[in-house]
Amino acid sequence: MSVDVTGVDRDTLVRPIRTVSTRYLAALSVALGMIGVWLFFYLQQLRHGLIVTNLADWGSGGGVPWGLYIGAFIWWVGIAHGGIILSAAVRLLGMDTYQPVARLAELLTIAALTCAGIFILIHVGRPDRLVTSVIPAWPTRVQWSPLMWDVTVITAYFVLTATYLGLTIRYDLHRLRNRLPNRLDPIYDVLLVGYSETEDAVVERMVWWIAFAIIIMAPLLLHGGVIPWLFALLPSMAGWAGGVQGPSFLSIALTSAVSGIIIVAAAFRYAYGWAELIPEAVFRGLGQWLGFFSLLFLWLQLQQVITGIFAAPTTLQHATEVKIATPLYWVAIGVVALAMLYVFAASLRPSLFSLPLLVALSVGVLAGTLIEKVLFVVEGLMHAHFDLYAGVPGAYTPSAVELSALVGTVGIVVLFFLVVSKVIPVVELHAIEDHGEVEG
Amino acid sequence: MTAAPAALPPLLALASLSAPLPALPLLAGSADYTLPFVGPGTYLIFGIVLLPVYVMVGAWFLGDPSDRFANLLGVGYLAGLTTVLWGSLLVATLVIGAVFF
Repeated sequence: MSVDVTGVDRDTLVRPIRTVSTRYLAALSVALGMIGVWLFFYLQQLRHGLIVTNLADWGSGGGVPWGLYIGAFIWWVGIAHGGIILSAAVRLLGMDTYQPVARLAELLTIAALTCAGIFILIHVGRPDRLVTSVIPAWPTRVQWSPLMWDVTVITAYFVLTATYLGLTIRYDLHRLRNRLPNRLDPIYDVLLVGYSETEDAVVERMVWWIAFAIIIMAPLLLHGGVIPWLFALLPSMAGWAGGVQGPSFLSIALTSAVSGIIIVAAAFRYAYGWAELIPEAVFRGLGQWLGFFSLLFLWLQLQQVITGIFAAPTTLQHATEVKIATPLYWVAIGVVALAMLYVFAASLRPSLFSLPLLVALSVGVLAGTLIEKVLFVVEGLMHAHFDLYAGVPGAYTPSAVELSALVGTVGIVVLFFLVVSKVIPVVELHAIEDHGEVEG
Repeated sequence: MTAAPAALPPLLALASLSAPLPALPLLAGSADYTLPFVGPGTYLIFGIVLLPVYVMVGAWFLGDPSDRFANLLGVGYLAGLTTVLWGSLLVATLVIGAVFF
């Protein structure tokens, strides 16, 4: 596969900034509407408390205090990973084929991490608890509490990603300044403070090191570390405990992350006529990564199912039997398997490749990974080693309040891209400057 | 909690255990509930997780090409964004406290 986008001019790059179409306004309205729906329900939660979600305490809804909120938190952090890992891979490993989508991926990281944070914010009930619970306790709890490790690493991840973006954007803004709207000059002045072209080589080296730090920290220590440790270190929950959760969480994160990038990149390509800037070869390559990560996802699920049903400790066996008896679990596995089979088939026979179909399958994969994560959280709680809540009536079903938060956070991501794409170039200038014939 | 004196008969010793305890400050950070500073998280966060960040910042200043302004801009981004992130949440918390409580 080869990609050459050197024929694309700078005006094409800033097209999203300089145009406002009816479709754009329609998308803006839809995003604001989605956020409005969530705010309506969230106000109910603020007024009456978490009781409106049926997650008020252990002992309600079949004994499940964590549900969609925590499942969606993990899911959004997972989506966030693809972005910066892909961008880091471009810088560290020279995978220039993906340079046209690298900044979109970085932006997806920031948006998705924000949504992950929102889910924690709304799950603690009173929003001020995020500060009053975390800041005073951090110095005396970080040495023992996985929750504090989680807060620390996510903060570091967010800050590193934003720093990466803040440093790399200076090169582009300086050179595209005459094509950018004057009314946004105050923003550009701040982002370009102290800029001179002599810093380019220095900044390029600095962001290489940020990419280095991120590519070690984000996959291995966050989604393959601290986040699974929130569950894997609890031996009382048979379905959660164990070292396999690190690789398993990471495989799910990477699968959903690549899906997210495919959807965002395809949306920009469609909306701004960017077939030349983001050629089909980019999506073919992303599709192959999706297939590979899906294979890892399914392989690690197989590991857990086999070790859980063959001569496993009693409670683990019970938790695993419940898992494989849940139809929704097989829906999740099915959509990921379908995506994997399709992209591998399209690799063997290129004529089978269809971008709309790849996007549709990516949406399916995102739905599947969300289902898997929510089931993991809920069923893990319902089938703990101690059967204390076996007699608790009811079963957990996500409430309208929780579902609205999912809708709202998707709306926030859409709104984020709609707004940011009007301010900064969402494709790096390097993509059209340095991009000769690149083997990918 | 102190053990009952050995001279007391067992029932009396049990009774002394059920006597009201002195009021303790039940705060997460209070001395009674504070664990020793060094725990697995100490090594994890400061020794492993943040290690790539130390290496990154060190490489900024020690490698070549290097530029003091760009390096400080990078450090400013790291420190500034962390402060803005948690500082804005702190301000929001204070506002919530002032308006609603």
